[in-house]
Amino acid sequence: MSKPLFERTKVNQIRLHVLPTKRFKTYAISVYLGSPLSESTVTPFGLIPFVLRRGSMKYPDTKQFREKLDDMYGAGFGFDVVKRGDHQIIKFQMDVINDHFVNEKESLLKQSMQFLGSTITNPYIENDAFSKTYVSAEKNTVQKRIEGLINDKIRYAAERCIQEMCKNEPYRLYALGQISDLQKITSSTLYEEYKRWLRDAVIDIYVVGDTSLNEVQSLIEQYFPIHNKQQTEYEAKERYINSSQKQIKSVVEELDVTQGKLNMGLRANVTYSDTEYPTALMYNGILGSFPHSKLFVNVREKESLAYYSSSRFEGHKGIITIHSGIEINNYDKAVEIIKKQIDDLRNGVINDIELTHTKAMISNQLQEIQDSAFEMIGFDFNNILSGKERTSEELIQEINEVNVQAISAFAEKVDLETIYFLRDKKGES
Amino acid sequence: MKTLPYEKLNETIFFNQLDNGLKVFILPKPGFKKTFATFSTNYGSVDNHFQVEGKEKVKVPDGIAHFLEHKMFEEPSGDVFSQFSSQGASANAFTSFDRTVYLFSATEQIDNNIETLLNFVQNPYFTAESVEKEKGIIGQEINMYRDNPDWRCYFGLIDAMYHTHPVHIDIAGTIESISRITKEQLLECYYTFYHPSNMNLFIVGGVEPEHIMQVITQNQNSKKYEKQGDIERYFDNEPASVKEAKKITILPVSLPKCLFGFKESELETEPTGLLQRECEMKILMDILFGSSSGIYQKLYDEKLITDQFSHEYNGQYDYAFSIIGGETRDPKTLLKRVREEIEHVMNQGINVVDFERSRKKKIGSFLRMLNSPESIASEFTRYQFKNIDMFDILKTYENIKLEKINNRLQAHFDWDKMSVSIVQSEESK
Repeated sequence: MSKPLFERTKVNQIRLHVLPTKRFKTYAISVYLGSPLSESTVTPFGLIPFVLRRGSMKYPDTKQFREKLDDMYGAGFGFDVVKRGDHQIIKFQMDVINDHFVNEKESLLKQSMQFLGSTITNPYIENDAFSKTYVSAEKNTVQKRIEGLINDKIRYAAERCIQEMCKNEPYRLYALGQISDLQKITSSTLYEEYKRWLRDAVIDIYVVGDTSLNEVQSLIEQYFPIHNKQQTEYEAKERYINSSQKQIKSVVEELDVTQGKLNMGLRANVTYSDTEYPTALMYNGILGSFPHSKLFVNVREKESLAYYSSSRFEGHKGIITIHSGIEINNYDKAVEIIKKQIDDLRNGVINDIELTHTKAMISNQLQEIQDSAFEMIGFDFNNILSGKERTSEELIQEINEVNVQAISAFAEKVDLETIYFLRDKKGES
Repeated sequence: MKTLPYEKLNETIFFNQLDNGLKVFILPKPGFKKTFATFSTNYGSVDNHFQVEGKEKVKVPDGIAHFLEHKMFEEPSGDVFSQFSSQGASANAFTSFDRTVYLFSATEQIDNNIETLLNFVQNPYFTAESVEKEKGIIGQEINMYRDNPDWRCYFGLIDAMYHTHPVHIDIAGTIESISRITKEQLLECYYTFYHPSNMNLFIVGGVEPEHIMQVITQNQNSKKYEKQGDIERYFDNEPASVKEAKKITILPVSLPKCLFGFKESELETEPTGLLQRECEMKILMDILFGSSSGIYQKLYDEKLITDQFSHEYNGQYDYAFSIIGGETRDPKTLLKRVREEIEHVMNQGINVVDFERSRKKKIGSFLRMLNSPESIASEFTRYQFKNIDMFDILKTYENIKLEKINNRLQAHFDWDKMSVSIVQSEESK
């Protein structure tokens, strides 16, 4: 089996990861900038990419900036602000056609690196500050986005459950920060934060496509002039083991909804870098990430209680969350059935089918990663972020060795901490 | 077996129409781990009134195509998901206005998975009891969408535009309409629309085409199908006007959602014209409302739109409309400003620089789409049912003249044919 092998080097303390391949019609480029998740910086850092996408010194006007992307055959350009464990990661991404398919004078890879480099390291500045207009408009955009969380009840319930569960941890923070802090930001304070962010963030740049490490390295040297960088690696995670809390916390919130959202938060105390990580993946797979999983089969198929009922494992944080949409009156019954599934895992009530099917499905998911440039990048970045090197082949191997005993031993340490229910306003409260 | 080479794109499609009428398309992607297959019927939510040559006319309850999709996963041996899981495949299905698609993706046991896909879709098995039980699950699905403001706004707009055409009916139907669905009606729809001559199979991935074609042919030859006459679909006469100019839905949202669109009354009757119009409309809409357009930047600076502002065009032989909009603090002012801006462009005409930029962007986005086996399978099939070759998109974009775009601009934006759909909170009424 051919392994995807990233070739790696360092330029100005930026880590560079390149995978030369002719398999795709595009170049995929990702830049990750990670900082510790903290109350004082989460909001300004979250705002930075919104302001950067308004213009650079090369393309000061937003319309010019976007037209340049269109001119590169509609290059895909995007950014995302996410939480990974106790880090806030800002990711920029570009997806541009391989020159082979179009008639372009100058290499589109070169143009893209230049574009990204100037966007991130040479933003549009006036009087030693960001543009007032851009900052004010993007503050408004971020505020609307934070306020808009409530519109999607599935996401809202998931976010609220995490907030309640992680009340005393940085992980409670929303990736885009909080509105009260947003209002205090000015174009000059943000520029100061930006310089600090660029200096201190851990930076990883990925390129997948028909290129070489040498080519990319010289483009980075040319277009990412970041000097005096301090931090170059992610610090070992802090652990938040909440074992003292044995009582389950129940939260009910009322809004004008038709369907109830029942969410639960479980502490797994195992993260990506741990040897038990494959066991945790198996646990989550058997519990709720597939149509043959306990939640889908019991909550949906057997009892017709829900259209969706599933679980998710946040491997960098070590928590598992359960999500379901139910008829409001069925709350007690649904809680009981879900708890029963958690207990069954603890008691080793896992049949052969659940075990083998979950192994087959996880191994399939891991193999499929290699067909998508951005998924390969994402998988490799998980390694980099956690400090644990593990290829997908190795992970498949480890998954195949997990047995029922290991899963129930792991399940023994999983604590259900929080039950969150979003319901209508007609309740007795 | 025929081969259809697209040299410029480095792609070749292998095609065969089997004796029972099934069309099979295979697109080998050397080096890809994953194989992705879709088995689709030319049957969607709009097909609720029909007649097979030599049989009676039939009218069925709303939501039946989607209901049938759910029920197909039930097999005498239990749930077919479980079989896919045991073969490491993830399976799914969806129903749209005009088609129902069953799919899987897998990295192993490809032959078995293809056979499983063919066999479960070609074996309807359900009991009156299991049909009743499914009503609970679909009821929760309907309720989930009822709480989703984006969904309500989108379908609210189509509902406002159309008087009689069933495109205005929710794909899943209503709790009331699905309560009337019986096992017999499901079977009647099944035997009408799941005849191989009304279906196609698309396989893309790291496969060997001759071998796969043989597996499929053998499987199909082992099943008996009587020849079926043509299916006639009936649609009541749709007036040229919109049903309602404005529709307001009350839901808790942080900001009002406002979508508007134009209903076309002059429809295309043959494939070349349909594709031509679709490509022209996509370029036109991008020039007007894309993120690098003048209108977008102005409205964004006026804080009338957010970065979620979007646009799309849906063109079929029996309906065609545009959808534009997103969140806004002030729907009334937004609509007034959009009208002013569009009228301004209508007076000036579209310039050649903007046109060329947009054309380039559309060509780039088509090429980028070819990286994704899922998108290829889905798009190729969608166009097939309209008798269009998806790969013709490239040359259609290359040959479009600016004059045509200007003609579309004058023809499409007819203010009497515009509907607006707004979702807002109780307090902002």
